[in-house]
Amino acid sequence: MAHLVVDHLTKIYERGKVLALDDVSVSVEEGEFLVLIGLSGSGKSTLLRCINRLVEPTQGRVVFDGTEVTGLSQRQLRRVRRHIGMIFQQFNLVKRATVLSNVLAGRLGYVPTAMSLIGTFPKRDIDRAQANLEKVGLIEKMYVRADELSGGQQQRVGIARALMQEPRLLLADEPVSALDPATSHSVLNYVEEINKDGVTVLCSLHFLSLARRFGTRIIALKDGKEMFDGPPEDIDKDKFHEIYGEEAEEVEVR
Amino acid sequence: MVDKRRQRDEEGEKSPRVSRFLVRRIASFWIDWLIIGFLAYGIVYLLNYYWYTVSVDWFGTLTLPPWGWPIAVVGTLEIALLCRAFGHSFGMRVLGLMTVTGDRDRPSMKERLRYYGAMHVAIVPAGVGVWLSPRSPWHERLSGIHLIPIPRRDEWSDPPPPWYGTVWGITAFVLFAMTVTLSWHITDVSLKNLIGEADKAARIWKGLFNPNFDALVADYPAPINDSILGALVETLFMALLATIFGAVIAFPLSFLGARNVMRGTKIRMGVFWIIRGFFNVFRSIESILWAMIFAIWVGWGPYAGTLALMLHTIAALGKLYSEQAEHIDPGPVEAIYSAGGGRIQTIRHAVIPQVIPPYLAFTLYRWEINVRMATVISLVGGGGIGRLLFYFKRELDWARVGAIVIAIAVVVWVLDYVSGRVRERIV
Repeated sequence: MAHLVVDHLTKIYERGKVLALDDVSVSVEEGEFLVLIGLSGSGKSTLLRCINRLVEPTQGRVVFDGTEVTGLSQRQLRRVRRHIGMIFQQFNLVKRATVLSNVLAGRLGYVPTAMSLIGTFPKRDIDRAQANLEKVGLIEKMYVRADELSGGQQQRVGIARALMQEPRLLLADEPVSALDPATSHSVLNYVEEINKDGVTVLCSLHFLSLARRFGTRIIALKDGKEMFDGPPEDIDKDKFHEIYGEEAEEVEVR
Repeated sequence: MVDKRRQRDEEGEKSPRVSRFLVRRIASFWIDWLIIGFLAYGIVYLLNYYWYTVSVDWFGTLTLPPWGWPIAVVGTLEIALLCRAFGHSFGMRVLGLMTVTGDRDRPSMKERLRYYGAMHVAIVPAGVGVWLSPRSPWHERLSGIHLIPIPRRDEWSDPPPPWYGTVWGITAFVLFAMTVTLSWHITDVSLKNLIGEADKAARIWKGLFNPNFDALVADYPAPINDSILGALVETLFMALLATIFGAVIAFPLSFLGARNVMRGTKIRMGVFWIIRGFFNVFRSIESILWAMIFAIWVGWGPYAGTLALMLHTIAALGKLYSEQAEHIDPGPVEAIYSAGGGRIQTIRHAVIPQVIPPYLAFTLYRWEINVRMATVISLVGGGGIGRLLFYFKRELDWARVGAIVIAIAVVVWVLDYVSGRVRERIV
């Protein structure tokens, strides 16, 4: 059994009757760095969000580590989500809060609700947060408000927050789309490091060059359909045009 | 024949789109009729006004005799129908409807006249035909003219006519002019009165500009037994207490009244609507009314005033708070859900950190409002500075009234300035 299995997944957004995912099946092995590519609106975000059920799939199954995620009760779903970290295009940090409290928020799945209401965390979790901030090189920014950081730094806070979950799978929804090319590389380097520590990564990216550089395997979506599944080298000019349309030009980002 | 019946059956089923069209069609007709009725009422009112007050009243008042009512009803109805047949009536415009021929052309005058006649067919049996087949009722099939939703601009070649060249434009203009004129007469607005009678207010102005501050610190004798400063402090504390308690109660309620927080099950949405309803109802009842009730309930004095202010504060702040909670960045909420957090945790760690500064700003602003309201509330027994204000006013002691007005103005101005500065800092 593979680490993560997406089985004939279909998502139709009722409002607007949009077919966002059309019968997508993917099987991911442990330790892979899987990159999703495709145009805006091709269903990348929907696929990622269907895996941890931030978006409820219309049909199909998601199986993570032998547990069928689709079909879990809300309570069970929360327990599974603890092991699936996620980072976002817009970072999704509380801008007014400090870096430390943003990172600690990643631990909420483990903390009892009553305790988290007071707003305190166990000492171990605070130590863990510091260790993770150290890992992304932001330990000296611990008590700084999140909105005082640059975009790249904010995304690194997002990574540290995801690490708080001690994830076995990391979902990254266009983590570098809001960043400039140099920062993109440094952020993705951190993601790669996490991947090397044994965390499976599913990451959607806009630039094929970044996908080639970081991905061990690429999946391309177009209008909700799977167009390609294979190693990065297999995407040639024809495949590229098939995915991105005839008029597209490949842009190098280094 | 069979085909026709099947077609009618299909239309009779009334898909949501068709029934929405039916509602638009009927509502546009009622709007037209009501507007014409209102204009007719206005004309009669103005005729009366000028005949009765300006001219010699040898005609007496113009009243509608009993047999006049049917005429008025039918007359306004006919005019409304004429408006609908001979152009783009106000109701049609508001609800986005227009008339076209079967070939989707502009109807000619002759066709419009036929349509006008045919509309009576629909009116006489009280619109049964319209109800049975909303898309093409009897009178439209009879006249060959159809009421359709206004097509989008790009499907439509002619430029739109200027507003003064359309029936709805002229109706809207007349409606506006009539409303302003009527309200002018109904509210007895009179510039002549304002300027001509100014000397009556002169002694008030004289008093106000020569304020008597002797009661500023020293207690004024019975029945007041208080100084201006003492009463001001009382007012400030009334407002402060009402604001603090109001905010503390409104804070948890505001999350129950925020749509994005409550979305999900039917029960949650039920709670949401109840809380929202509570906010809206209690906000629309002025605190002076609550003060009247509480003044009898707990007795005259600052306590009644505080309770009244608090109740209004809960509703007003609750509404403002919950709207603020609805406008947060949903990203952090999503992040906490994705980390395995629950709904309550998202409120505590994603919603509250985002709303605290605006909440504080609203609360400060509310304190300011409460100070001003606390003055008026004394009129019905709420205690505070207003008690002195209205006492001196009754005694026609305009110099002391002037002193109080100045004292209130200074306090409100200082409060406004300080809270403005603080709000700037925190938002």
